[in-house]
Parts: sequence; C-alpha cells; structure tokens
Amino acid sequence: MLKSRKKFTLLTFVLVLAILSGIFIYEQENKQVSYSKKYLAPRVLYWGSQGEDVKKVQWRLVQWKYLIGEVDGIYGPETYRAVRRFQEKNGLKVDGVVGPETAAALGISLGEAQPASATGLNRQSDEYLLARCIHGEARGEPYIGKVAVAAVVLNRVEHPDFPNTIAGVIYQPLAFTAVADGQINLTPNKDAIRAARDALNGWDPTYGALYYWNPVTATSKWIWSRKVTLKIGKHWFGV
Amino acid sequence: MDRDNRSNRRWWIAPSILGLALILSVAWGYREYTVRKDMEVTLENAYQRLFFDVKKHVENVQTNLSKAMVANSREQNVLLLSQIMNEAYFAQDKLAQLPVPQADIAKTEKFLNQAADYSYYLIRTHLDGKPLTNEQRGQLANLQENSAAFNKELTELQAQLAKDNFVIGSLSKRQTTKVRKGNENIFQTTLVNIDKNMAKVPRLIYDGPFADEMIDRKPVGLTGQNISRERAMSIAKSFFGSNKVSKITPFEEGKHIDEIAIPSYTFSIQPSNAKDATAYIGISKKGGHVIWMRNARPLGQEKLTIEQAQRKALEFLEAKGFKNMEPNYNQKYDGGVLFNFVLTEDNVTIYPDLIKVKVALDNGEIVGFDAVQFYSYHQDRNISKPKLSLEEARNKLRDDFEVNSQRLAIIPKGKDEVMCYEFKGKYMNGDFIIYVNADNGKEEDVLQLVIDENGTLTF
Repeated sequence: MLKSRKKFTLLTFVLVLAILSGIFIYEQENKQVSYSKKYLAPRVLYWGSQGEDVKKVQWRLVQWKYLIGEVDGIYGPETYRAVRRFQEKNGLKVDGVVGPETAAALGISLGEAQPASATGLNRQSDEYLLARCIHGEARGEPYIGKVAVAAVVLNRVEHPDFPNTIAGVIYQPLAFTAVADGQINLTPNKDAIRAARDALNGWDPTYGALYYWNPVTATSKWIWSRKVTLKIGKHWFGV
Repeated sequence: MDRDNRSNRRWWIAPSILGLALILSVAWGYREYTVRKDMEVTLENAYQRLFFDVKKHVENVQTNLSKAMVANSREQNVLLLSQIMNEAYFAQDKLAQLPVPQADIAKTEKFLNQAADYSYYLIRTHLDGKPLTNEQRGQLANLQENSAAFNKELTELQAQLAKDNFVIGSLSKRQTTKVRKGNENIFQTTLVNIDKNMAKVPRLIYDGPFADEMIDRKPVGLTGQNISRERAMSIAKSFFGSNKVSKITPFEEGKHIDEIAIPSYTFSIQPSNAKDATAYIGISKKGGHVIWMRNARPLGQEKLTIEQAQRKALEFLEAKGFKNMEPNYNQKYDGGVLFNFVLTEDNVTIYPDLIKVKVALDNGEIVGFDAVQFYSYHQDRNISKPKLSLEEARNKLRDDFEVNSQRLAIIPKGKDEVMCYEFKGKYMNGDFIIYVNADNGKEEDVLQLVIDENGTLTF
C-alpha cells in the first residue's frame, strides 16, 4: 500500500516535471520565432502600398473569392478587409499586412521584375523605418506632429552633427526613447506610413528643426538649452 | 490506518510541489541569468570593437593627412584624399553608435563629417586640374593638427580604460558603484573634452553639403517687407479661399522662431467643408509669401486621371501667379499625386526653382503646396548662350547610351548652379539622366530613374 502511494507521488512528480519542462522548451522556441518576426523587416505590403505586387495579391484574392472588386494595384480598405478574411480562414496572424507568410499562403512571391541596374531599388525600407519611428515616438500626435517627427530625422541625416543615414539617426544610442524601450518595433499604422511618405516627399513643418521634446516628460535639462522655435502638438521643436 | 495513510500522502504532496517549484524557478532564473550574460557580453564586444575601430580610423585620417601634405603629385593626393574621406566617414559612423549622448559628441561628429566632405571637395578640384592653393594647404594642416589632438586623447582614454578594465556597456545602464562611476566619468569627460576642442576648430571654407556655409545659407528668393501676423493670417485665408476657412489659429512659437532658415508664421486651418480635417500653412515673414500648405484630410476613392490632376495643378499655379512652370516628375501615393514643377526660362529648365503641388484624386482639390526650394533659390539669372552645341555635348556620351530626349537645364552644383545639356535615355534597359556641362563638356551628374506605375523616383 505504502509503496504504491510512493510510486504515485513519484509518478506525479515526474509528470509535472515533464509538463513544466515541456512548457519551458515550448516557450523558448516560441520566443525565438517572435523575435525574428519582430526584428527582421522583409518586403511587406500594407494599406497604401501600390504596384504590381498588390495586383498579384488582389488577383489571388479575387480568384479565391475573398475580394469582390477591382484588381487596381492599390492596397485600399477592401483589399485590407479581404486580406484579413484570408488570414483568418487560413490560420495566419490576422493583421491585414501581406508579409512573407501570407504571401506564401497566397502562393505568390513578392518582388518585381526590373532591369538589373534597378533591381530592388525603392524607397520602401526608408519609408517603413521612418513610419516605425513615427509610430513609436508620436502615436498620439496630430498628423502634422507625426510628419514633424519624421522631418527631424531627415534633417539630422543632412546635418554634419549627426549620422548620415536614416537608420544611423534613428538608432543612435540615447537619441529616441521609442528606440530605447522597443516601441519602435511595433507595427506602424496607416497614419504613420502616410506621414513618413509626406516627410520623404519634402514636407518639413518644422523649418529645419533638429530636436524635439515633450515638455511634460523630458528628463534632460540639456534639451532646454536648445533654441526653441515652434510647438507642434505636444512637442516643442528647436535647432 | 487508512486515515493515517491519507494524511501521510498529504504531507508528501505540498513540500514536493513546493520543492519542484523551487527547482524550476532556480532553473528558470539561471537560464535568464545566462541569457542576459550572453547578451551583455555580445553587446560589450560590439561596443569595444566600435571604440577600437574609431581609434584606428582616426589614426588613419591623421597619417593620411600628413602624407597628403607631403605628397606632391596630383595622383597620389587623390588616392590619399579618397582614403581620408573613407576613414573619416567610418570613424563618424562608428562613433555615433557608442552609447553616449549625441550632445557630447556633436562637434566631433561634425569634425569627421566635414573632414570627409572637405576631402571629397579637394578630390573634385584635383580632378578639375586645379592645384592646391595655399589656403587649402593651411586648412589641411589644421585638420591634421586637430585629428592628431583627437587621436592623442583617444590613446590616453584607451590606456585608462585598459588599466581599469572598463565596460563601455555600463554607460547605458544605471549602475552607481563607485568604480563604474569613476570610469564613466573618464570615458564621458574625455569625449566631452574632445568635443569642446572640436568646437574651437576654425570654419572650413569650401563647397560641399556639410559645409557651414551651406547649412547657414539664407534664402535668396524672398522679396518685400516684413509683415505682421494679422496680415499673414489674411494672406493664409485668401490663399486657401476665404469662404472655405471656418477657423484659423496660429501655432505657438518659441523665442528663437526667427532663427529658422525661412522665418515664418504658421497656422492651422479648419476647412468649412470638412469637419474632421485640418490644413496647415506657413507664410514667410519677409514679403508674406506662402511657402507651404498641406491639407491633411484623408483622400477618398480615386476619380481623376493623372492628366486631369496635372491640369488642376497647373491652373492653380497660374492663379497663384507662378508662370512658366513645367511639370516634371510625379509620384502617386495615398490617393493623391505629387507633381514637381520647375521654372522654364528661354527654353532652359531651371531645376533649383522647384514647386511641389499635391492634387487629391477624389475631387481634384489642391491638398499640398511646397515652395520652400523655390524661395530658397529663385533669383534673376543671366542665362548666357551655351558654348557647346547640342551635337558637341552629345558626343561626350557613351555611344551605346540611347538618348530619348534632350534639352538645356540649370542644375545646382554645391552652392553654385551650372548650365548643362540634359540627356534622358536608356542604358542596358535602365533609365538614366546624364548632365553634360554646356560650356566645357564635363559630365556633371548622372541620375538613375526608377519608373513604375506610381511615378518616378530618382537616385
């Protein structure tokens, strides 16, 4: 009798251990997947994307009756909803963004046929990185405030006191709080992407500002020694 | 007996579960600890590499500058200068990745950027066949001296850090043990000191994108007297259409508002036809010119073609008093088209005088206007007759470059402008524009075009 109870306890012990270590290992693997998803930004199509790739996506969605509408090459609200429906039906992450997984499930590969000299040349990576910076730094700001933040990044690229690439400026240590706390890795929304495009196309509502700060949350006294020029939304801008 | 047994079992269960939990949490904690340790070591290695690289690159800048001063042949100088340019950019790039506040290294970054930019400028003058002037030799000597001082400080810093076995990564963490703090101070104060010395470096006089002269450049296209805020407000209203403005409010300004490149009044406008949308407008204080306007309303279903939109944009420019504007590139995005218009005078396309107009494709409304470049560069120009004929310029191109169109154009070159023949065409299926100087036949610039159904991008 006693022996069997001991056996029973031992068995429970082993079982619990097995289950827990199973969870443990699973969690570890899961973590790796989400890390690579978070930190690598492959070619993706999202709301506002245009071009041949969008047409390919729409064509498939129409064929498979997820989309009733035109194949016009513009990733608008209908395409967005159709992609979400498709993702839901196929057990993909439902985010309305056509990334590598969704593209693979649709049976298409992203990337256009171009002459060798122009292959892969586009502004998408700049656009996407800027949009992520806007989304992390100025999510709650009015539209002009979003463009203003992107304009500061672009002004820094042109200025000798700062790194000379968009990524160099955004990832300069201690430069942006959203980079330090990882908010930059959130998926940018439609407004952030629009604002990034407007800024890349030359709109600079800050008139060449190199700094901005939120007077409520700014922790560095140094920032107030900057020359203050204009207030846009919650941020003060300066040179 | 049975009861005893049962309580016996209970006595076993609780501690074993607790024990299990303890073992698991220790295991979990240990794993977290090793992961963290791994990450710290990786990060630290990256920082150490950056620091040693910065040191090496600055050393290379210094020695190459010394060599460039001694070398006498143009060929040798071009080689040395191109190395200086590379090494200075590398040093700058890596310095900016170290975990120190930008404010502490701003002037050092500027020094390195300008050293690189200046080298590039000297390479160009060499290639134009001009020898170094005494002034330029003096500036090189200055650069050499400063990079030597910089390098000396870095050497001392490195010796200090080696002695104390300093961990750079600790800079980005908030750790306050005394040893760390002492080290932190050495690292940071040395960099701050270097930065202070860099601030004293005399202005480099040259022509390049990072030159002080370019950065402090004043706009030349603004004419007229300074205007008041009230006047600016009424200009904004009439530009937007007085009947379409329901409310207009000025932006809050800081006390240095007049130190921006084009001192301006900025307003936000509530259009009367759209409740949830806001438009923004900037009016220059000097002369009261509208320098930019944006209507940030979301754009609906596209109804207009690009051609119709372009006609709307041209009508708009005419109505605002901009004559002879020629549509150039356009980009279609987010339900609108952005047109680049440039001024033409006597059949010469003047690229610096650029105005961008964005047209909504849902109703043809002008939702964007940007004349910052136009007012920065517009001036009365004496357009002289080109010395070269079109045929002569065309002979400068590769034989297998297929020319589709050609015309005369003025393009910016550093702080100056040059008149060129512009050849648009194809080479190995790629689209390019080549600019050939209309006076001396030099190939001034080559642009690559990427054309898709949304428009044209230049690289």
